[in-house]
Amino acid sequence: MTRWTRLWENSLLLFPSIALTLALGIYPLLWVLRYMFYDYPGYGQEMFVGLDNFRRLLRDSAFWASVRNTFVFAGGKLLITIPLSLILAVMLNGKLRGRHFMRAVFFMPTVISTAVISVVFYLIFNSYNGMVNQLLMKLGLLGGPFEWLGPDHAMMTVVIAAAWGAVGNYMLLFIAGLQSIPQDLYESASIDGAGPAQRFWRITVPMLGPVMQIIIMLAIIASFKGYESIMVMTEGGPIGRTDVMYLYLYKLLFPLATSGTPADQQFGYGSAVGFATALIVGAITLLYYWLSRKMNKVY
Amino acid sequence: MTQQTAILKKPSGAAQKQGAPASVGAARFFTIAGRAIMWIFLLVVGALTLFPILMTIVGSLMTNSELMSGGNILPKTWQFHNYADAWQQSNFARYTWNSLFISIVSMVGTLLVAAAAAYVVDRRSFPGKSLYVGLQASTMFISMGAIVLRPQFDLMVAVGLNSSLWGVILILMSAHASTFFILLGFFKSIPRELDEAAMIDGSGFIRSFYRIILPLLAPGLGVSGLFAFRHAWNEYILPLVFTMTDPKLQTLTVGLANLRYGSSAAMQTNLMMAGACLSILPMLIVYALANKSFMQATAGSVKG
Repeated sequence: MTRWTRLWENSLLLFPSIALTLALGIYPLLWVLRYMFYDYPGYGQEMFVGLDNFRRLLRDSAFWASVRNTFVFAGGKLLITIPLSLILAVMLNGKLRGRHFMRAVFFMPTVISTAVISVVFYLIFNSYNGMVNQLLMKLGLLGGPFEWLGPDHAMMTVVIAAAWGAVGNYMLLFIAGLQSIPQDLYESASIDGAGPAQRFWRITVPMLGPVMQIIIMLAIIASFKGYESIMVMTEGGPIGRTDVMYLYLYKLLFPLATSGTPADQQFGYGSAVGFATALIVGAITLLYYWLSRKMNKVY
Repeated sequence: MTQQTAILKKPSGAAQKQGAPASVGAARFFTIAGRAIMWIFLLVVGALTLFPILMTIVGSLMTNSELMSGGNILPKTWQFHNYADAWQQSNFARYTWNSLFISIVSMVGTLLVAAAAAYVVDRRSFPGKSLYVGLQASTMFISMGAIVLRPQFDLMVAVGLNSSLWGVILILMSAHASTFFILLGFFKSIPRELDEAAMIDGSGFIRSFYRIILPLLAPGLGVSGLFAFRHAWNEYILPLVFTMTDPKLQTLTVGLANLRYGSSAAMQTNLMMAGACLSILPMLIVYALANKSFMQATAGSVKG
């Protein structure tokens, strides 16, 4: 076999992957890195403006409001998702009867489209004729209609919807982590007289550390990036209360797909916002990784 | 020192012995109570998990006024014709076809592209190999959000695929890095001797890829195909952007979400619920048949 045949075979098999990755994965990144220095509304002349887009970004109160909302959204989602999925994982890791069925139930939301189930949430959380209010009022838990998607509670509702779709996934990852802990550790601890609580805090938690560090990192990235459910349920409203970074960015690019006008379309500024959001998420991830470095040390 | 501790231990050991019968009873009570609390917790969380899905199914079988007034929890008469109405009037037949088309084509495409690349990377060494693998890994982590959709869209305009579903399919296929890494893991379990033996028998490198490797890779292709299909079937923003000018190309997710803007006088919530069911049910059926594969592959992502 000559060198040329080898080269030809390698290139033929790798070509589709490389071409797709370069054209649709790498080129768009370079495009963003270029246009964040330009003023470009998507038609007509593009104009080099230097750092103007970033100056505007610093003064853009709507963007910083969306950053704040992203932290509230991501924080709320993580506060529900991580403890709940860990509790479920510990419960369903043992020899409980019916554990396989229960795991399958909890994991089910992850196979369902976020957009579709968000439409369902949008309908059932409707304050006037939504099924949630009807049910709660019938049970006597609510006196009158509760404004789930009103300005004061919309954030809570989108967090609930996002957590609903995520818990099962992290539960499963935690179970995988729990199963990698050697069983004889628990056995010898029991012989030494350690109770269930002690076994949990002295064995499970430290041994799970390295896996937990990765799982929480995945969860952080996912909660900062997710905006599909918000887009469907509230479009960032009412009055911008649920506008998160990536949704704000989306509206700069495709105003017509939400309730904007073509005049809102700004690719240059959008690129700067996209770059800034990627930086913010990257910085959070690194900060977390540094703060959680102790989790990686198994005693 | 040792003597002291031995002395200190003695009384506590004696106390334990005395309290033994009572503590066994207490322990049994606590395990039963603990188990009961655990089951209550599991059932409550399970009910909350199933609630939106059950509401969708129930709502899809009610009349619209029944759904709006909230008189009953179960429909008075089961309105199965809602599905026929959604299928015909609200264009769900077309949406379903479009969803199936992009999901199947992009799944097959992703698998072929990723399997071919993983084959070369696993079986051969070539200059720039680590660069290529690094490139694939980095595409999974850098996320600038929707902004990259703009240059992707412009590229599709340039090649004339902006108002066809092929643009969506190509972009979905370009995100094949995770499939690539899953398949790379599966390649490790296929002995090299097999394809080497075939090559000695005169089968070329490329020929042994589709005659020997692909069939042996079937379990890996099945699992990662499941993920690729789910990803495409559930995708919302990408088809939304590509079908803005041509509603005929809308997928189930886009068509359903657009019904929120209901142009007709009143929103037909029951038909929307029926549409939601139509788009959820195929995934639920696949999940019912293959939930073990779904869960094993998800769990594998942190183990490896």
